[in-house]
Amino acid sequence: MTYSIIGRCARTGRLGLGITTFSLAVGGRCEGVAANVGICKTQAFPNRTNDPLAIGLLAQGHLPVRVMAMLAANDSEHDYRQIAIMDREGRIAAHTGSGTRGWSGHRIDGDCVAFGNGLVGPQVLAGLIAGFSARPDEALEHRLMRALEGGRDAGGQGDATGHRPERSAAIKVVDRVDYPEIDVRVDVHATAVEELRRVLEEFKAYEEFYRQRGRDPARAIPQDLFAKQLEARRAGRPS
Amino acid sequence: MTFTLLARCPKSGQIGIGIATYSICVGLYCNGLRGNVGATMSQAFVNQGNNALALRLLEQGLAPARVLDELIANDPDSAYRQIAVIDRRGEAVAVSGAKTRGWSGHRIGAGYVAMGNVLAGPKVVEAMAEAYEAAADLAFERRLLAAIEAGRDAGGQAGNEGPLAERSAAVVVCGHHDHAELDLRVDLHDKAVDALRSAFEEYEPYRDYYRERGRNPRQAIPQYQFAENLRRRRREAAQ
Repeated sequence: MTYSIIGRCARTGRLGLGITTFSLAVGGRCEGVAANVGICKTQAFPNRTNDPLAIGLLAQGHLPVRVMAMLAANDSEHDYRQIAIMDREGRIAAHTGSGTRGWSGHRIDGDCVAFGNGLVGPQVLAGLIAGFSARPDEALEHRLMRALEGGRDAGGQGDATGHRPERSAAIKVVDRVDYPEIDVRVDVHATAVEELRRVLEEFKAYEEFYRQRGRDPARAIPQDLFAKQLEARRAGRPS
Repeated sequence: MTFTLLARCPKSGQIGIGIATYSICVGLYCNGLRGNVGATMSQAFVNQGNNALALRLLEQGLAPARVLDELIANDPDSAYRQIAVIDRRGEAVAVSGAKTRGWSGHRIGAGYVAMGNVLAGPKVVEAMAEAYEAAADLAFERRLLAAIEAGRDAGGQAGNEGPLAERSAAVVVCGHHDHAELDLRVDLHDKAVDALRSAFEEYEPYRDYYRERGRNPRQAIPQYQFAENLRRRRREAAQ
């Protein structure tokens, strides 16, 4: 039981993944996010070797649909996997195996693919896509955040016996550099999507400071001073 | 303002990092571990290109000392960086740049580096190294956790105006696979080392379940049921 979205920003070409689930520490199992290559996420009953293999195949130049065919041929339990793949040009392939449990499905819509299993119904995918599409002018990480909130508000995970809480969540965004630009996580929490919003907002307040501190260390102010100034700005006081 | 234990486990050959810092979302920067290759971490004023470069150089066969030389030669601001590099045999090197701030230093041991900057003093690095060595009988990830807990207990970070909280922390372990065997994070918290320990203890019983669920999906019980069973076992154990 998980719901996820892979999206591409048409303006910048940045790629990103937003994911949340009942499972703990899902962000620690999202290695298929590669700058200048693409994204692959395998979930439901995940085959952990799928995502690195898919990234390698995408990097060699295969189309997502071909990568999916190779993942299928390489895995005797492909029917139990749910997989979405997007390359750096935004081409998408998705697979929801018949062995995945609960309400399970995927939907491709323009620059994104929403996919999930163990959900209350297709309205969760609609919520993900509506959230992603609501503000196309925003940075990709914010659009992915809105998508997860849209999925949660549409009912998220559950079945006839009840709702299943989001216990972990993550957003990753890559651009052209070797490391992720955004990589925020909540690993163990009772309401992980709310907590992820809090982490993302806080990280965005520090993002430029962290980047500049690395690029131009001679001019960097101490971080505790930056934190104090940030607090003062938020309180509307001169720092 | 960060304290870190980077190591190769002499028993399992795994590589790993335990890290805690005042900065938020530090796990984002821990992209320097790759099974069968080695481990590296750049901190203080982070050059975010360093880890990816170091891994590629290790992969090409350069010794850790040569990798470190190149990271320094490749960076006009190298004096602001604190860097550790360990190869898959456990050969370890480190540098604490002259312009890193506060008390800054490292200790190199057999297959590990303890390092930090803006610390309460050398005792923090020494405590990490001693705790890591003393925990030789524990699982590798528990040794890494013990090291950063010892660093915290020895005073942790100290800025110009006193002690600095650990606001984020992470523990990552890679073995022979293309994906991490453990990748746990706390991105934004008042006591991130404590929160990381409780996240780890919560996650630990799920690890085998997650692994087996992917390998043998047909036999997997629903996770909600697994969580329920776990709760019951814990209740019984507490009685």
